[in-house]
Amino acid sequence: MNTLLEVKNLKVRYGNIEALHGISFDVKEGEIVTLIGANGAGKSTTLLSICRLPPPEAPRVIEGDILFKGQSILNLPPHKIVSDLNMALVPEGRRIFGNLTVEENLKLATYARTDGHEAIERDFERVFTLFARLAERKKQRSESLSGGEQQMLAVGRALMSKCSFIMLDEPSMGLAPLLMYDMFRTLKVLNAEGMTILLIEQNANLALRFAHRGYVLDTGEIVAQGTSEELLADPEVKKAYLGG
Amino acid sequence: MNALQFGSFYALIALGYTLVYGVLRLINFAHGDIFMVGAYIAYFVAVLLLGGEGMSGLGLSPGLTLAITVPATMILTSLVGVALERTMYRPLRRKGADRLYVVITALMAGLMLENGNLALLGASRKSFPELLQKVIWTFGSVSVTNLKVIVIVAALLVFVLLEFIVTKTKIGMAMRGISYDKFAIPLMGIPLDTIIVFTFILGSSMAGLAGILFAMSYPILEPYMGALIGWKAFIAAVVGGIGDIRGAIVGGFLLGFIEIGVVAVFPSTLRDLFAFSVLLGILWLKPTGLFGVAKTTKI
Ligand SMILES: Nc1ncnc2c1ncn2[C@@H]1O[C@H](COP(=O)(O)OP(=O)(O)OP(=O)(O)O)[C@@H](O)[C@H]1O
Ligand SMILES: [Mg+2]
Repeated sequence: MNTLLEVKNLKVRYGNIEALHGISFDVKEGEIVTLIGANGAGKSTTLLSICRLPPPEAPRVIEGDILFKGQSILNLPPHKIVSDLNMALVPEGRRIFGNLTVEENLKLATYARTDGHEAIERDFERVFTLFARLAERKKQRSESLSGGEQQMLAVGRALMSKCSFIMLDEPSMGLAPLLMYDMFRTLKVLNAEGMTILLIEQNANLALRFAHRGYVLDTGEIVAQGTSEELLADPEVKKAYLGG
Repeated sequence: MNALQFGSFYALIALGYTLVYGVLRLINFAHGDIFMVGAYIAYFVAVLLLGGEGMSGLGLSPGLTLAITVPATMILTSLVGVALERTMYRPLRRKGADRLYVVITALMAGLMLENGNLALLGASRKSFPELLQKVIWTFGSVSVTNLKVIVIVAALLVFVLLEFIVTKTKIGMAMRGISYDKFAIPLMGIPLDTIIVFTFILGSSMAGLAGILFAMSYPILEPYMGALIGWKAFIAAVVGGIGDIRGAIVGGFLLGFIEIGVVAVFPSTLRDLFAFSVLLGILWLKPTGLFGVAKTTKI
């Protein structure tokens, strides 16, 4: 398998505070990789550093490199990372456009696509098949969706941008168990169709059962890594993250 | 008819305030002066093409001059707006400056435009050449000039066009998206700065259009002409519900009507006092403006 994303010795800061102290990991094409860790470990920071969103919100890369298919993307403007590399980030807190309708949110995600009207229509169909509740609420202001529906919209939006690599920051947050399993089942389907996934989760148990490989992040450093089976069996990981 | 004509000027300028505010939550206090610059740009383009005022010019006919001056003014004025955004607002945005500083910067930018004009051209007033043969139409007891009709039609067309752009096109959706969550825009593969620049182009070209139409209606130009009219248009935008395009149009026309109505009954020195009292009353009853909704945006 080819390496899609490679993060090398990445150090980032918010102002003067270092949040990541040189982390390295990689994601190969077609894989599901998960990044787990406690609150404040630096999981969201890692994803934000990859997408390099505009300041002031984004962390600043001090050292190290981020490679996509072997090319450094540190000098690429954030919108190009999405449009040219077909990456998508479903950010923490979903960040949907609450003042737009469901349909407008999805349409907006196709802004940079150049593959024509028909392909976009097909993807609309697909999103509405995967998330039937969105189809019923097309014309609704997305602010008024339930938390679970907003999460679906956030993932649907990423799909509309025609990504082949999707990064998700705690997609299970605020979802009832049933909806949560639905979401993970949908992600599995997408992965089976070739989507590469980098998943961040608080719920380490769930994440490791879902992913092929994982990394454990602790206060800005990677403290363990391996296949999901290895991590699930690791006594240290068990004790700290899996509740014994 | 005068009410509609004045209302049209207020509306065209108010649209620029509302667009920029709607997208960036920035009150672009320089906008009234961009209108003034628009009028001066129109003057120089017209004189250059037509000749006169001690310049030989190209000697074009008034009709052709008008046809070129309108788009040229709109384009050049929008460049002024974009220049303000690139040199003043964008660097502050990049540094995450507090909104207060950006507003103060806008205020200073406006003063710089006024005083820059004064320094460059002196205090002498410019008189705008006549580009349009005046025609008067009479319907019963009302008579209107062709220019007034053009002004009113222009304001309405601009309104329809902007409403279409903002509600129906992807770039319009992106503009609305920015107002809700700037951060998420690049995640959609959308270049944030491009959309912001587009917003300034739209707003300033409308101010340019207002500038040339105003200069044709009241052909005396002076550097401070944008100040009072800019304030009034801003207030019209707020009363209509700032950030809302319909609000800008309604607020603009409303102000036009109130002013003319007051003058019809009272001495004209009371015009502004009465007009602003009425607007204050409206805000007192509905603090978010006529079309405004209490915003829950979180930027
Ligand atoms: N905008 C910011 N400015 C300053 N410090 C920040 C900022 N965002 C995050 N941090 C700090 O960086 C560290 C890592 O935060 P991050 O959000 O990446 O954690 P996380 O692993 O995603 O946690 P959670 O599971 O709670 O979402 C924390 O110590 C946090 O306080
Ligand atoms: Mg987080």
